[in-house]
Amino acid sequence: MELTLDRLTRSFGPKIAVDRLSAALKPGVYGLLGANGAGKTTLMRMVCGVLRPTSGEIRYDGVAIEQMGDAYRARLGYLPQDFGYYPEFTALDFMEYMAALKGLGKRIARDRSLALLDRVGLAGEERRRIRTFSGGMRQRLGIAQAVLNDPEVLVLDEPTAGLDPKERVRFRNLIAGFAQDKIVLLSTHIVSDVEHIADEVLMMRAGAIVLEGRPDELVAKAAGKVWEVVVSATQAETAEAELYVSNVRLLDGARALVRYVADGPTIAGSTPANPTLEDLYLYVFRDGAPAASRREDSGAHFKEDQHA
Amino acid sequence: MLSLMRYELKKMLARRVALVANVGVLVFLVGIMVLNVVQTKTTDASGAILSGTVAIAQNREEALEHAGTITAERAAADIAAYQERVFAHIDRDAVLEMTSSAVYDLMFQNFSDEEVYELYNPYWSNLLKPWRVAGEELAQTAARVTPEMAADWYGAVANLTQQELDDGQAGMWEYSDAERAYWTEKQASVEEPFTYGYADGWANIISCSGFLLFAMLATCVTLAPMFSFEYQSGADAVVLATRRGRSQLVVAKMVVALAYVTVYVAICAGIIAGFSLVFYGADGFDLSVQALGLSSPYPLTAGQAALVSLAVMYAAGLGFACLTLALSARTRSTLAVFLTDVVLLLLTGLVPSAGVGVLERVLALFPLNFSNFNMLFSALESYPIGSFVLDLIGMLVAVYAVLAIIAMPVAVLSFRRHQVA
Repeated sequence: MELTLDRLTRSFGPKIAVDRLSAALKPGVYGLLGANGAGKTTLMRMVCGVLRPTSGEIRYDGVAIEQMGDAYRARLGYLPQDFGYYPEFTALDFMEYMAALKGLGKRIARDRSLALLDRVGLAGEERRRIRTFSGGMRQRLGIAQAVLNDPEVLVLDEPTAGLDPKERVRFRNLIAGFAQDKIVLLSTHIVSDVEHIADEVLMMRAGAIVLEGRPDELVAKAAGKVWEVVVSATQAETAEAELYVSNVRLLDGARALVRYVADGPTIAGSTPANPTLEDLYLYVFRDGAPAASRREDSGAHFKEDQHA
Repeated sequence: MLSLMRYELKKMLARRVALVANVGVLVFLVGIMVLNVVQTKTTDASGAILSGTVAIAQNREEALEHAGTITAERAAADIAAYQERVFAHIDRDAVLEMTSSAVYDLMFQNFSDEEVYELYNPYWSNLLKPWRVAGEELAQTAARVTPEMAADWYGAVANLTQQELDDGQAGMWEYSDAERAYWTEKQASVEEPFTYGYADGWANIISCSGFLLFAMLATCVTLAPMFSFEYQSGADAVVLATRRGRSQLVVAKMVVALAYVTVYVAICAGIIAGFSLVFYGADGFDLSVQALGLSSPYPLTAGQAALVSLAVMYAAGLGFACLTLALSARTRSTLAVFLTDVVLLLLTGLVPSAGVGVLERVLALFPLNFSNFNMLFSALESYPIGSFVLDLIGMLVAVYAVLAIIAMPVAVLSFRRHQVA
């Protein structure tokens, strides 16, 4: 099972959203990280076949998905960023409707719908209209419909956006549970979500993957780039304006603990700190970051910035 | 596929706006048909105003007084009898010199109310129509008709068509030779003798067929979001990424939409026909359509004409449904789709033709303009395409069939190829 993205490009007029992006995805959870406008959603739409690439190709086990048509879509589960639903449908209606669209038989559709609604914590809510659901409930319904056909490729676009922390944790666990033996592509800008469930992280910037690798490998790359220093509150404010500060914690009195990313200590008294994926994210996406530099080691690499 | 169709139907009809529009139009139609019955008015021989079912019964009685086959002999004999009755009391030559209102007064001065009432029975008006000049009294027309003219009543009826062709819709349209031949031939195909009698139930269906316009509006409200709501709500990304999202789904949508339009228009037509036939009576199906309008060149019965009226409205309904679906598949805005429908369905009825024949013929293709007896069966609306001629009914069927044939694939392909950007 392999999903190949081959020099995938999508432009909207003069704007290039995804730029000659290539990747080979095997079973596992891929966390797609990137700022707003990095091209994550466009990439995911192309992977799901709802948006045609301007050039390049997506292949599933060597066959172009365009050529596979319905056969590819039968293997696909998709939860889009703005999950559209039918307000007058009940949760069960919606699940059975999606099951019909996915080509499941009536009996299987009912059984799987009920089982999945139960699994996502919507048991007892089957007959409630979707318009009465909270955002979290809708997202859970969204993930339930996405896995209804037991897809081999599961694409989740910002599934935790708008959820409260408790819902997010619950959602992450759900995704982890559904992810076995599947290619799961999960986009988010909430770094901690990816850190917890992704086997592999893909960082996107300006339509290209600029960094990829296992979370721990990537985090290791930020070693020596994260610093902490205790300064006065006034100095903390100055640091926030001048540096890439990932956190400021006020201590007793007028002092604050400032955590920042930089190639070296820029404030006297700074000590190295253990990096997190969030630190790396900040480091990679800081203005003037060396995205164009090519560095390849231990499975993680920076790629050439195509727009540089 | 059946499951998909079931859910598409639910999606379509469960929307509150659609529900309100559909139920609202049904209630409105029932209301308007009740009013149609209640507000029927006529007078009896004593001059008393009758309304509702009593008026309908009175009209029926009047029509049945002269029911039967109008042979040329009967027409001549009846005209002669009418002239004898009228001119026994008033001067035949004098009425030709008088104004119509003076003649009207003269009738009341020389005849009892009951006699006047009988002399103004619609049968006489129908019988004398071939020679009638607009605005004149029946007695004046009768004064000009000679026994020779009356003996050739069917010739005079046929001449009505020729007069209309010569008149060219008051100078608005010059009929080509092909059109003249077409209408002459059509008039010649009308079976003689005509049958006269009571057919108000069928006539009322034709008069009220225009109310199906409201059914069309309801179907437009219902179908406008068919595709556009998917785009608007973001559900397109979900459904198009499924196995049947680009194949069976769009077929299910189209089948459900057209089945819904058929059933809904049938229900609305059923209300119109039901009220008409129950309250006005179902008799007269086999009467000549000329009993409803003598100058009609169509070889139809009154019942057939009523069915044709409903059928062309259904054809228009299907055409507009397909257009709505195509627009819906091309745009995210449900409102824009509906407004386009409203403009085409309603505002075209307000556009004047300004005496321009071509414009008049274009406007005649819209429901608000063609849904009446005169336009469909009397107005000699024809569309010459070289030597080939289509009448309005044929043109309506052709236009709405072409619209459906073009719009359906547009809707299907637009949705199938839709890109979620």
